[in-house]
Amino acid sequence: MATTELVLMTLADARLPTGGHTQSAGLEAAVRARLGAKGNKLQEVVQYARDRLRTVTRVEAGIAVVARQLASGGQEIGPVEAAWAARVPSQALRAASRRQGRAYSRLATRVWPRVTDFLPSDTEIARPVVVGVVAAVTGLSAEQTARLVGYDDAQTVVAASLKLLPVDPAEAAGWLTALHPDIEDLVADVFGLTRPGDVPAYGAPLVDVFAQQHSIERMRLFHA
Amino acid sequence: MLTRIEVAADRVRDRCVLRTGDLSPRRLPAPDGTVRVALVAAGALLLAGDDVRIEVVAQGRLRLDIVETAGTVAYAMRGGSARWDVDVTLTGGAELSWHGEPFVVAEGADVQRSTALTLDDGCRALIRESLVLGRYGEAGGRLRTRTRSTLGADELLAEDLDLSPGHRSGWAILGGARCLDSLTALGHRLPDAPQTLQLEGTGSIARRLVTEQHTSDLGDLWTDLQHSSTTSWSARRHESERDATCCAKVAE
Repeated sequence: MATTELVLMTLADARLPTGGHTQSAGLEAAVRARLGAKGNKLQEVVQYARDRLRTVTRVEAGIAVVARQLASGGQEIGPVEAAWAARVPSQALRAASRRQGRAYSRLATRVWPRVTDFLPSDTEIARPVVVGVVAAVTGLSAEQTARLVGYDDAQTVVAASLKLLPVDPAEAAGWLTALHPDIEDLVADVFGLTRPGDVPAYGAPLVDVFAQQHSIERMRLFHA
Repeated sequence: MLTRIEVAADRVRDRCVLRTGDLSPRRLPAPDGTVRVALVAAGALLLAGDDVRIEVVAQGRLRLDIVETAGTVAYAMRGGSARWDVDVTLTGGAELSWHGEPFVVAEGADVQRSTALTLDDGCRALIRESLVLGRYGEAGGRLRTRTRSTLGADELLAEDLDLSPGHRSGWAILGGARCLDSLTALGHRLPDAPQTLQLEGTGSIARRLVTEQHTSDLGDLWTDLQHSSTTSWSARRHESERDATCCAKVAE
């Protein structure tokens, strides 16, 4: 179905009101800890996005793929939410993801009412689980679902870097293109997953440290 | 080679069966209700081809304290690799405390560590793990870890870390840190602190990313917790003994 292309574009578009502009994928706290060395080591932004794609974002993409699979088969999504929670040790990161998941599912309920078959209304559910359910009801493939999660995370890091560091926007767009092979590696790694227990559990210790610090920071530009 | 520690609570005398593998478990004196075991290397460790397996089984209302007498160095493996697998099963209200000494991955070493922890509801574990990349002045070798823990029917923690040289120095993983020091509580929680990760299920991880292992303050946290847990443990044990006595009387 050709319209899945349009659905994918819609979901990946930052203008979709899901609150994506409030997120930096942990970059703000990392910059506070001197990632980018105040503009002298901007390439560290790309490495940061790449490390995430290999670790926490791979977990998130795997969760979305399995949530899509379960919802497509009319099964409960509870077990995949539990698998996600066991893979995210930081309470700050779980809370941030669930806040985003709630906003995302509120919007999805209006746009694709069938998601209410799987998502209780106005509940905090992990964002990748909501993405997986939306993917199931809109007919996205497992590959498209994983690609969406990978792209979204990389774009979140890169777009936030424009606000946090002296980055040239054209250079930032180049970084995103340079990350394409990393996103495709992620897709290849997780698209075949069908069971919650099989989702990879790659951790990123500094991402947890920064998330915990950021959640108690008083002056911040981004939510997480 | 398999090293095994099996302990079971018993009304007369707690049972303890030890099996020596790459490590030799030795029983140490301990107060009533506690079985204390020291793990001592039985030979040169850790070298290419080593397949260290440690099985720990604790059953019933007792406390098992595992202590290590020295840190472990994984030496250069010249293209080879080694494994270090730990499998812990706690049932019937058993409690485990395991204070791991530094595990140092020297330049040229390639180690896969795997830790599986299966806890019945009502069991608890407190584990210190200090992973150090490189001896003094070294960048350190390759280390990958895999941790899986369940509490009752629920998955409590799943975490895989790839701390290979090309993968660990970024701002998402370890940055400039060479030591990942962790204190993990399962089946109970560590006191809240900004840097303490509170798991979704009942458990916590206090973690320090430091450049030198001795600068981590988790040793102090460990001491505080041991002190408070010894007090609460004896209270819990006495409570269960009272319950057992009541049950026995009812049965009579």
